[in-house]
Amino acid sequence: MPDPTRKVKPMNPAPGGGGDGEGPKEPKVKKPNTDDLLKRMKKVDPDQAKRYRQRTGQ
Amino acid sequence: MADIHFGLETEFGITRQNAEGIDVVAESIALVKSAKASGVRLRWDYQYEDPHQDARGFRVKELKQDFDEANYFAQDAARTLTFGEIKSDLVLINGARFYNDHAHPEYCTPECRSLLQLVQQDYIGDQLLMNCAKAINKTTDNPVMLYKNNTDFQGHSYGCHENYLLPRELPWETLAQGIQAFFVTRQLFCGAGKYGWESEDKYLQSGFQISQRSDFFSELQSVDTMQRRPIVNTRDEPHADEDKWRRFHVIIGDANLSPYATWLKVGTTALVINCLINGAKSDEIPQLDDPLHALKSISRDPYWKWIVRTADGRTSNAIEVQRRYLELARRYGDNMQGDWQLIFEAWEKILDDLENNPISTSDRLDWAAKYKLIESFRETEKISDDSAWLRSLDLEYHRLDQNEGLYYALLEQGTLSLPYAAEEFMVDTMISPRDTRAAIRGACIEKFGSRIISAQWDCVRIEGDVKKIELNLRDLFDVGIINQGIKLIKLASKAEDLEQLPFASVI
Repeated sequence: MPDPTRKVKPMNPAPGGGGDGEGPKEPKVKKPNTDDLLKRMKKVDPDQAKRYRQRTGQ
Repeated sequence: MADIHFGLETEFGITRQNAEGIDVVAESIALVKSAKASGVRLRWDYQYEDPHQDARGFRVKELKQDFDEANYFAQDAARTLTFGEIKSDLVLINGARFYNDHAHPEYCTPECRSLLQLVQQDYIGDQLLMNCAKAINKTTDNPVMLYKNNTDFQGHSYGCHENYLLPRELPWETLAQGIQAFFVTRQLFCGAGKYGWESEDKYLQSGFQISQRSDFFSELQSVDTMQRRPIVNTRDEPHADEDKWRRFHVIIGDANLSPYATWLKVGTTALVINCLINGAKSDEIPQLDDPLHALKSISRDPYWKWIVRTADGRTSNAIEVQRRYLELARRYGDNMQGDWQLIFEAWEKILDDLENNPISTSDRLDWAAKYKLIESFRETEKISDDSAWLRSLDLEYHRLDQNEGLYYALLEQGTLSLPYAAEEFMVDTMISPRDTRAAIRGACIEKFGSRIISAQWDCVRIEGDVKKIELNLRDLFDVGIINQGIKLIKLASKAEDLEQLPFASVI
């Protein structure tokens, strides 16, 4: 069992990734908006998950 | 490639912004009832459902229920709705099923024959649920919130199941033994990622892991799905001619937001099944020493080395196990073209990337996308490792709302790769997979609407002017006959016109 007290070493994100050759295609998207992403993350109530309760499913 | 049909059943999480005192069963029923999509309601035929039959050749008396369910006994006993009203089944014109499965809205895709159809149908399901929530939210100041995930971080899990219809000739034990190590290790690219460790009915501790579901499996094989879940589910309910077909009911997957991950999950699994159908020998197939331990240790490994011990006592890792399956799938997969060839290439590439730089897969895989996003925010905001905020951000990744969900923000940013051009699968109409029996089901529902007596995966009954017509779909896999059926249904002015179909009878 891994030691839970040890942290994942941060890794450098690589630009892009897959999607070369005949394979998967980049999505057609609106222009990137990192502000919107940050705004959405800041808006998340830190306690939201504490209130989230579900019943067991399959 | 063997003629394998596949589909997904996704249970969604549901709550309200102010969740105090809400009854998730009532919320789920209300959501399903709110659907405006074309289809027929309360016509699902439950006489054909039998989840107690075990593929190992016996029948269980009862299925295990989660212990936590006892807490809801009084609430459930007080419901005045009929069984049908609680389920609120809606069978849609694309051949899909949408209903309340106990306490979760569940969308079951129609049967698909291609991976493009599968991601299309998964997308249609997501849109359907989002539209339901939008409609409800116009009328309330306490909005409904939906999540395409698999846990509430308190030990209550709900599934995203896969189904693969395959020839019955493949013996059960060959399938079950042959695919076990694949299921344990495919979380490397199918996992949706989770901040937190859980067990049944319990939150254990903080910590990131690559899979949402791996905490909830404690058996190698069994028929159960709600408690003591198995790596290989043995439910034997083919929804087809049981002498010819086997429906392999797979419960060990995470719900993926990334269509790329869904594409890879179902594509690689179909290729492994194909390899077993084509005679891969048991001594060629990887076996793990302790699959249940490996399942959790892979998911929770903080170093992303994913070390495993094989049955012959060697130390290996999950990437090597996957590479072995890839090699076998190639060797036993003749004449692979189109999408299947692309799956081989994508599978190989993802394993290479996971080995060289796991986070470089964040353009394709949910767990890596989530981790990269949340970790960068965590560092900026100086959020502690054990903060509940991380779980809230995790939850928000799965939010099924294009204006709020973090996955959708990433999609909008253009940082995610898709398995097909967006316009190919992000469709805005309820199209059915046109070369499967689902197209017959969907066409009947569209044509005959209120005259549908009942519908099931393998049977549709229609009230004619003077006769009742039954369409038997149990062995309907011939594309020519399916096309003939669709044509006739479109031309028909009454159900009796379908009598001439080779799979129709008067009842």
